[in-house]
Amino acid sequence: MSRSDVLVDADWVQSHLGDPGIVLVEVDEDTSAYGKGHIKGAVKVDWKKDLQDPVRRDFVDRAGFEALLSERGISNDDTVILYGGNNNWFAAYAYWYFKLYGHHNVKLLDGGRKKWELDSREMVTEVPTRAATSYHAQEQDGAIRAFRDDVVAAIGNLNLVDVRSPDEFAGRLLAPAHLPQEQAQRGGHVPTAKNVPWSKAAQEDGTFKSDDDLSSLYGDEAGLDFSKDTIAYCRIGERSAHTWFVLHELLNQPNVKNYDGSWTEYGSLVGVPIELGDGK
Amino acid sequence: MSGSGQAGAAGCGAPAGGIKVTDGAGNQAIVQGHVTSGGSPVPTGYARLLNADGEFVAEVPLGDDGGFTFYAAPGDWTLRVLAPGGIRADRVVSAELGKITELDLAV
Repeated sequence: MSRSDVLVDADWVQSHLGDPGIVLVEVDEDTSAYGKGHIKGAVKVDWKKDLQDPVRRDFVDRAGFEALLSERGISNDDTVILYGGNNNWFAAYAYWYFKLYGHHNVKLLDGGRKKWELDSREMVTEVPTRAATSYHAQEQDGAIRAFRDDVVAAIGNLNLVDVRSPDEFAGRLLAPAHLPQEQAQRGGHVPTAKNVPWSKAAQEDGTFKSDDDLSSLYGDEAGLDFSKDTIAYCRIGERSAHTWFVLHELLNQPNVKNYDGSWTEYGSLVGVPIELGDGK
Repeated sequence: MSGSGQAGAAGCGAPAGGIKVTDGAGNQAIVQGHVTSGGSPVPTGYARLLNADGEFVAEVPLGDDGGFTFYAAPGDWTLRVLAPGGIRADRVVSAELGKITELDLAV
């Protein structure tokens, strides 16, 4: 897979607005952002209401994903272009979801909503109407999702990449600095994890760095052993979906999983090892 | 470690401008303020928080009133504003536990 298979730039989106067979989908951290303005023709997916089970801490199941995409008017044959705020955190998370349920024709808008806004490109408030479809999802692809036991077993054996900020990694903060400090019972990180904040993979305008820069970042600088499998985690799994995208989709690393339970789960488990302090 | 005065945060979903503090900093080190241009709020743009080494830590889109809020750790930070038209402005700020540090920027 090459970069052009998984990423499109703002010019490409601009020139394909309204094309049949291409569906723009906005997924934001701030779920009210879409209502204030979005790229023309884009439909909204709410990362919490639409993608999370309303009772258990888990994803919507296969039937739920099928119902969601059918209702949004997305068919199996459509090319889905995902974008969102916060440097595409939640768009990358949704991208991972689409892959998890077997929708392979999906790409990210490089830079997401931020790049589009900073370019002063047109945003509209008109919500498009799309005819419902009968979407069929696959069973979840377990090759790209890690659970807590996978993480414990990976300590000292596999690459563990903690993509949170250095202060969260060290245990000084429990959440990103734009959010109140709550969530996990304990601070710190999984022992042997390398701290490579997701933001190091992105430029200031939200676009991804070059493949060469990304290879250096995770290889030479962070010291990941690319011959080993990798698990990425953050606090709730969305920033690590961004890093999963980099490692698995841009750098073509074959065995990379996203641990969506992430620190809010691991940091509340009884009896698992935790390490404090800055990265080594 | 729940703070006081936040308007209902859940998961990672922060509204534009960040989650406003309404009744004091509690045990948090808060940096908040507004971005204006020619006396009017800048509603489209981003506030980024960089640590003392210049490394990115957090970012929020500006609110309709040009506002932003960060829940930082105590220490020195750089606030960077990005807005359409190539606007890019930095301001150094110190955060303290239990204090709301107000910071207004004209760009």
